[in-house]
Amino acid sequence: MNPREQNLLRSVTVTTWRFYAWVGFLCTVLAFGAGAYIYQMRAGLIVTGMRDQVSWGLYITDFVFFIGISHAGTLISAILRVTDTGWRRPITRLAEAITVFALCIGGPMVIIDMGRPDRMLNLFRFGRIQSPIVWDVIGVSTYLTGCILYFYLPLIPDLAILASNSQVSGWRRKLYAKLSLGWTGTEQQKHILERAISIMAIFIIPLAVSVHTVVSWIFAMTLRPGWDSSIFGPYFVIGAIYSGAAGVILSMYVLRRIYHLEDYIEPIHFRNLGLLLLSFALMYLYFNVNEYLTAGYKLAGGERVLLERLFTGDFAPIFWTAQFLTVIAPLLLMIAVLGIPRYRSYVIPGVVFSSGMVVIGAWLKRYIIVVPTLRSPYLPSGQRLPWEWSHYRPTWVEWTITAAAFAAFMLIYTLLSKVFPVISFWETREGEPVPVEVAEVRTPGWWRPGAVVAPLILLFVLLHATPLKAATPPAPKKPAVTTLAVEWKPATENQVRDADAEEAEGPGRVYLYSGNLFNFLSGGAADREADLTVAPIAIKAKLLDAAGNPISFQPVEFSIKTLLGTLSYGTRPTLGTGEVSIVLRDRRRGIYPLHVEYKGDDTHAASQSVINVNFGERPKPALPKIAVLITPYATPQIELPFVAFYGTMWVAFLYTFGYLVLVKMRRAGVAPALHPEPAPLGGTMTVTQPPRAPSGTAT
Amino acid sequence: MSVSRRGFFELLARGTGAIVAVGAAWKAGATRMFSEVLPARSIAPTDQKWVMVIDLAKCDGCRDCTKACSAMHFVPPMQEWIKVFEVSDNNVAGSYFLPRPCMQCDNPPCVRGCPVGATYKRSDGIVMQDDDRCIGCRNCIAQCPYSARSFNWGEPPHTEAELARPYSVDYNYPHRKGTVEKCIFCPEHLREGKLPACASTCKMGAIYFGDEVEDAVTNGKGETVQFSKIAKRGAAFRLMEELGTNPRVYFLPPSSRKYPSPEEKHATAAASAPMTMEHSK
Repeated sequence: MNPREQNLLRSVTVTTWRFYAWVGFLCTVLAFGAGAYIYQMRAGLIVTGMRDQVSWGLYITDFVFFIGISHAGTLISAILRVTDTGWRRPITRLAEAITVFALCIGGPMVIIDMGRPDRMLNLFRFGRIQSPIVWDVIGVSTYLTGCILYFYLPLIPDLAILASNSQVSGWRRKLYAKLSLGWTGTEQQKHILERAISIMAIFIIPLAVSVHTVVSWIFAMTLRPGWDSSIFGPYFVIGAIYSGAAGVILSMYVLRRIYHLEDYIEPIHFRNLGLLLLSFALMYLYFNVNEYLTAGYKLAGGERVLLERLFTGDFAPIFWTAQFLTVIAPLLLMIAVLGIPRYRSYVIPGVVFSSGMVVIGAWLKRYIIVVPTLRSPYLPSGQRLPWEWSHYRPTWVEWTITAAAFAAFMLIYTLLSKVFPVISFWETREGEPVPVEVAEVRTPGWWRPGAVVAPLILLFVLLHATPLKAATPPAPKKPAVTTLAVEWKPATENQVRDADAEEAEGPGRVYLYSGNLFNFLSGGAADREADLTVAPIAIKAKLLDAAGNPISFQPVEFSIKTLLGTLSYGTRPTLGTGEVSIVLRDRRRGIYPLHVEYKGDDTHAASQSVINVNFGERPKPALPKIAVLITPYATPQIELPFVAFYGTMWVAFLYTFGYLVLVKMRRAGVAPALHPEPAPLGGTMTVTQPPRAPSGTAT
Repeated sequence: MSVSRRGFFELLARGTGAIVAVGAAWKAGATRMFSEVLPARSIAPTDQKWVMVIDLAKCDGCRDCTKACSAMHFVPPMQEWIKVFEVSDNNVAGSYFLPRPCMQCDNPPCVRGCPVGATYKRSDGIVMQDDDRCIGCRNCIAQCPYSARSFNWGEPPHTEAELARPYSVDYNYPHRKGTVEKCIFCPEHLREGKLPACASTCKMGAIYFGDEVEDAVTNGKGETVQFSKIAKRGAAFRLMEELGTNPRVYFLPPSSRKYPSPEEKHATAAASAPMTMEHSK
């Protein structure tokens, strides 16, 4: 090992009192956070500042922030790998580490925010693919798996190097040897590993984009002013890469200072990443203008209230601080140190200071995304409620847990920087950039068994063809006949026209907001007019006295007994023939008892009659057709793309890790080691396979 | 281990195929054999389509509906399942009282967003809330444009009467910490052929309730009117129609009021605390 590698090795082997003090400090913060969380579990979320109106607060802010920070790591490392950038070698490891650790913190923030974390498994028992929350569960868990693999794969050769190094203590060498999966460093192994890393790098890029898009969709899939925005997906992705790039620069600076890695992390890295950060800053500026100008130009109802709060109201200080820290200040500072020759000597402090501002500003910006929108609903429910029920002020519990989240992030980083070297030995050894073959993933004949596609189709057909159980219509009651004879029949055209001219519909009516919707998501066209069709029914009653003679000019009352009351149609006089008729143009379905009543007078006794009138078949119990994505079953239009996208990712992970690394790479590890300094392997390299001729394999 | 790439993918495909096939068969079989198990929740015990009509011209803002609802459901403090707002559409127009129950939307955003199906649409139009299943993520609160949902932030204060019965989605109590609650049109009353608590209590007869299929709605004074007729003649509107939620609650415009307007009410009862919309401030 050369001196700079010896120095790097010291970061793993030597621990100072400063390290223990720092870990002790972080553990203290973490303990306070754990205490606060236990308190919150006991008392409920009432101990936070969140209430019905602002029902998400710091926890969701932290969640979005950490998921955002997690992006750049992998994305930058993956992009730099795919484009085979030479200067990436010393910084990919620490970028990937940030990703894994930030995800480990960001994911649980949602659990901390949950009212019933004990019921978390309901997400798997009853999960609905229509919900953005489930999209996040799928996306983030896939992403975390991918990032752990992507962090682990480039680590394998370094683990073998450490396992063979005498400065490392015994149990750690055993651990490293186990984890290095039989890496001996043959040319073939190297080739396979680089291929595996390339595949992961290619797949991790769309995955990272999808995850932050899905996070933004939690907000964008609502009807809230400020969230109901079509650019939220790309806006979040850019914001995430931007804050993540800043996170990478910050950690580069910190690790360089602490472990004296000046030989590895040079000003060129700060300059190049600074240029990257500058370009992200410009893109972020563009997205900010796009987001706020389109809303601010029109100032439509709810948006106006929100923008007033942001620009000049209670959120203005945080909003403008966030804008200053994320856009204005870093842009000016980085243009100065990167673009103006006389300031070039300040490139490291300038870029690092910008990154610090960006990270703080990004957190504030997440707060500005989450809280003000919830504070400005369409129907503010703050009337007659105490101030704190409509406003949001985080409590000490939330601040403590947030601080603990940051402490946990740094603690994982600190501890794992002691376990795994923060800079890749083997990659930096390849002084000259070696062209990495960008693997073309071919999947020969994977569909051939036909066992994937057919059951999938079958599954969806079965799941969505299950009919709702039909309820039986109410049994008709027997009519009671008295001297008041009643009959009903569907009304003729003339009767309809005479009945009520006022009720007739005009031909050119305009429906505000509700048109006929071809609803491809719920399957079937919802026809508004069909629901409104009226089948008029003519009722004819005949009032006769005991001898069977008609009684004329007597009031006869019509009414229908409904479930909750009696609907009266008023009183009509009988004609000379004793007949009285009425046309019902109700939008009613089903069979109902129609009461016809003659109250009687001095000469005639009262009489009444009931007849069951069939207004047509009651509709079968069904969920509203107009609804979108509310069925109790999975919606294939949502499910299939998710299965296809994330399923592809899982297949790629399984292939890369399960096959390429676990099977093929270990098999190839029998040739003599290619380390420049042949070191004893400590007798722990047991996982080797006898050489096999590659028969029938397409490599 | 003699695993080739093709062999690996074949294994993967077979494994996935087997899992998917078994899962599909199991789920299909289960839904066929116990056809009521899965969709039963979504099928209402009766085949009505409940609808509510609130005549704003008759609402005098007494909040008896809120009190009756809270008493019947033991609604925890700071929650109002039906809340009476005092609103103004602009700075010039006078204010009116707007009772806001859950709108029981036909295109409910809360149901779309619920990750576990704790809130679900029933065939009789009610958006139900199952607090045995709710995980407390509050996505439905974020989704609801009517602010009709509330969360049990702490352990709600219990009473003997509330705890006397086991939990049921029909009445949504005993209340539980960490779950979301809302108005559910009193399914327990409906099953007995009674009006929901708010409608039966309203002395002004402002809240009409009934079955849309029956085309009749009844208010607390026992007056039954034809739903389609009052909706047509009264030019009924639904709240925030532009959001496409298709509520099942209709409002008749607050014109020709026969009671003091909110302003006059405030003037006479100077002691009562002023109630203003936050937005208008």
